[in-house]
This record gives sequence, structure tokens and C-alpha cells, in this order.
Amino acid sequence: MDRPTAPPAVIELEGVSKSFDDTRVLDDISLAIPAGQTTAIIGASGTGKSVLIKHVIGLLRPDVGCVRVFGQDVATASKAQLYALRRRMGMLFQDGALFDSLTVGQNVGFPLEHHRKDLDEAQRGHLVEEKLEWVGLPGIADRSIASLSGGQRKRVGLARAIIMEPEIILFDEPNSGLDPLTSDAIDELIIDMKRRLGITFVVISHDIVGTVKVADHIGMLYEGRLVEFGPTHQILRSSNPVVMNFLRRNLDTSWLAALNAAGTEGVP
Amino acid sequence: MSFVAGIGRFCIFLAAFFRATIRRPPHPGMVLAEAYRIGVKSLPVLVIIAAFVGTNLALQGYNAFAPLGGQRLVGMFVSTAGIREMAPVIAAAMIAAKAGTEMASHIAVMRIREQIDALEVMAVDPMWYLILPRLLGIVLVLPALTIIAIFTTLCSAYLVTVWQLGLNGAVFLEFARQGIQGVDFIYCMTKGLVFGIIIALVSCFFGFEAGRGPEGVGRATNGAVVTVSVAVVFLNYFLSELFYG
Repeated sequence: MDRPTAPPAVIELEGVSKSFDDTRVLDDISLAIPAGQTTAIIGASGTGKSVLIKHVIGLLRPDVGCVRVFGQDVATASKAQLYALRRRMGMLFQDGALFDSLTVGQNVGFPLEHHRKDLDEAQRGHLVEEKLEWVGLPGIADRSIASLSGGQRKRVGLARAIIMEPEIILFDEPNSGLDPLTSDAIDELIIDMKRRLGITFVVISHDIVGTVKVADHIGMLYEGRLVEFGPTHQILRSSNPVVMNFLRRNLDTSWLAALNAAGTEGVP
Repeated sequence: MSFVAGIGRFCIFLAAFFRATIRRPPHPGMVLAEAYRIGVKSLPVLVIIAAFVGTNLALQGYNAFAPLGGQRLVGMFVSTAGIREMAPVIAAAMIAAKAGTEMASHIAVMRIREQIDALEVMAVDPMWYLILPRLLGIVLVLPALTIIAIFTTLCSAYLVTVWQLGLNGAVFLEFARQGIQGVDFIYCMTKGLVFGIIIALVSCFFGFEAGRGPEGVGRATNGAVVTVSVAVVFLNYFLSELFYG
């Protein structure tokens, strides 16, 4: 019988370890993130999730091991190669990492300003407005960053992350610091973007409810080690005590029971 | 960070800066914007301080020379001490206090808010985008500000000498002229250039190296202004020794 073909991996980590001073933050992580799907890395605060994502984008280099993106070893890439790789990727930072001295439109159009010299101002403006519309914030290009709420900052950050039409988008704690309603809205936005763009998403989060909604695959980090990785439905039924404990602490038990009783692969 | 480790990290920072900027020309608009911002913001306070340095040099010169009957030497004293030594250091100190601290704190805030990482992720080199325009902006304006400090110091000293101390203005100017030569202006502008490079690179370095949180920003700003101040007076001695020794 033919086995279903797994999508090719666009991001691969092999035996990645990283220490800061005497603290080992990542410990022998091996992981293959499939193309065109949403993979979430979950875990409590301080387990190395953000460090892991910074290895993928090349902001950190592993002490041991190898990180490959589109088949290119990030750790040994030259600066030019790394920048070429990054142009194919976008990242949403925890607080948006927007530049306070620029307007919303200038922030969103920043990558175009530097990498798409072929576009004139009107074309860049059109793309900025289009992406702002996609994230549900049309007509705010002239506003200052200081006037935005936390949720709006994330949306603007996402508009900036997608403006170069990347093949991979990394989300660093997209729900952190948001109230439940705004957090839900961000989850919906990620799902909408996934439908619209059909590209690879990697989401780092400790918010299991949001993660379950958006992710096709989940990996769980615990004390710097990847303790479990697989399709979302499989992780939700994991017998690994660390995973079970994390899910129990973060998900309503009735929600989990309903999921198990339904026996479906999907999630509410 | 310890002194030796700090020097080592600064050298690594410099190497990274030159690697990042050596082949890529700066954005002229950004350089001019920085030059304008640094020059215009620092000018009023520079003029005020240079003016009062001039007044005090005149008073102290008069007090020192009058008992010996050498009041006429006030002009020479002001021009020698004020132009050769005080004006370049005052201009550098003002730029360090205004623009240097602004550079360190702004870049430190960008560091802790992940904005520098965001630049990297967007494949825009932060060394090129953040440091090069600031360095060139300060290098453009500091020699000019040094000349402005020189004339302000001289003018205020002249006014105090003539109006308050009752000495002849023409005599003051003649002795002031004898105290300096045309090459002094070149030396002063060279000092301004060197101090500008130090202020920009050290301030940006402290901003880049900022630790986490508001405390990190405070430390970076404080570290930058203290280091730059010490470096400026230290270098001023060696440059004076080189030019006049």
C-alpha cells in the first residue's frame, strides 16, 4: 500500500544545541518543518522557543548542530547568503518590533523601500494599503505607531512580514500580551493568512488554545529538549506526561474530554 | 562588562561596522537629516556654553595678568586657551551630551524592542542603516560647530574685556590675533572630526550592546557619555601634543 507522501521539509534542525554562559537553552533539537503547513512550537516560558526561532532566521548560530532553510545551512551562510534567505522569509515579533519614528505605512513598506527599487512610490503605496487591508486595518498608513493598540501593532507587524511575499513566516508569540478577544482575532487572522497565502508558517507560542486552532503540527519544548512532535490531533492525545501536564494546565479539561470523545482529527 | 572585554567587543563591533559599510555607500538623505538634526539641536546649548566659557576665560585671564601689569595679554590668553583647547572640547562635550546620549538611548531602545533584530530579519544591515548616517552626520557638523564655538568664545570674551573690564577692544583683538595662526583652525576642525568619530562610534556601540529592560537603556546611555567624555579629554591631550608639542 502506498503511504501518503509527506510534504518536503523547508526548515530542518539537526542536533542543534545552544548554551548561554552555563545554561543550556537548546539541547540536541532535531526537527523537520514541512512546507506549506503551519507548525507550532509550544512550551512554557523560558524553554527556548524564541531561541529556536532565532536560529531559524539566523539571528543566532548553534553551538552544535545544523539549521537548514531551503536546504541552505544558516550557520555557515555568508552574510549575503543569509540576507538572500531572509528575503524569502518574514517574521512577526512579539511586540511587532515596529519603528516608532516611522508611520504605519512607512513601517509596512520598509522592506519594499530597501529591496524593491523597481517599484515607484505609488506602487509601493498600493501594496502597503493592500496588505493593511488584508490584516483588517485599511486606511491607517499615515498613523503613528504610538497611536496603535497592542493588537493593531501585531497586525501591522504581520502586514510588514508579508509585504515581500515570503515563502515562510515566523510568528514569535503572536498572542502574548493580548486580551482573549484580541488574541482570538489574531488567531483568526493567522488562519485567514494561511488560506490566502498557502505558505509555511512557524508559530512559537505558549498559548495552547490558539495553537490548536492554527497548527497542523505541534512540537513541544521542555527544558530545551523537543519532547514531542507530530500532527496536532496526535499531540492532543499524547501520552507523554510532560505534554499531558502542559495541555491539562492550559486547556479546559472539558474541552479536551469533548475532543477525545468526538475522536475527530480536527479541532473546535 | 570588564574594561578589557569591552575593548575587545568594541574592536569586534568596529570590524563588523567597516565590513558592513565599506562597499555600500550611505543614503545621502539620511546623512543630511542626521547632520541637520545634530547640528540644529546642539547649536543653541553650544552657543550658550561657549559664550560663558569665553566670559570666564576673559575674567580669569584678567585676574591672572593684571597684578603683573599684563592686562593686554587677555586677548592672547583667550585665543590660545579658548581656541586651541576649550572650543573643540566644549563642542565635543555638547554633542556627546545631546547627540551621543540620544544615539545610545535610541539604539538601546531599538535593541531591547527587537527593532534591530527586525532590521536583520528584513535583510537591512543595522550597521549601515543606523550607524553610518549618524557617524557621517556628526563628522559633517562637528568641525563646523567647533568653529562656531571658537567665534562665540572669542566674541563673549571680547565683550567682557571691553565692556566690563574696560580694556581697549583693538588691543584685545591684536593680542588675540597674535595668539593664534590660520593653521589653528585646521587643527581645531581636525580635533572636531576625530571627536565626532569617537562620539558616534562609542555611543552607537553602547546602544548596540544594551542589556535588557529600561535598566539596560540607562546603563548604555550612561556608559556612552562617560566613556566619550573621558575619551575626548584623553585624545585632546594627545592631539594637542601632536599639533603643538
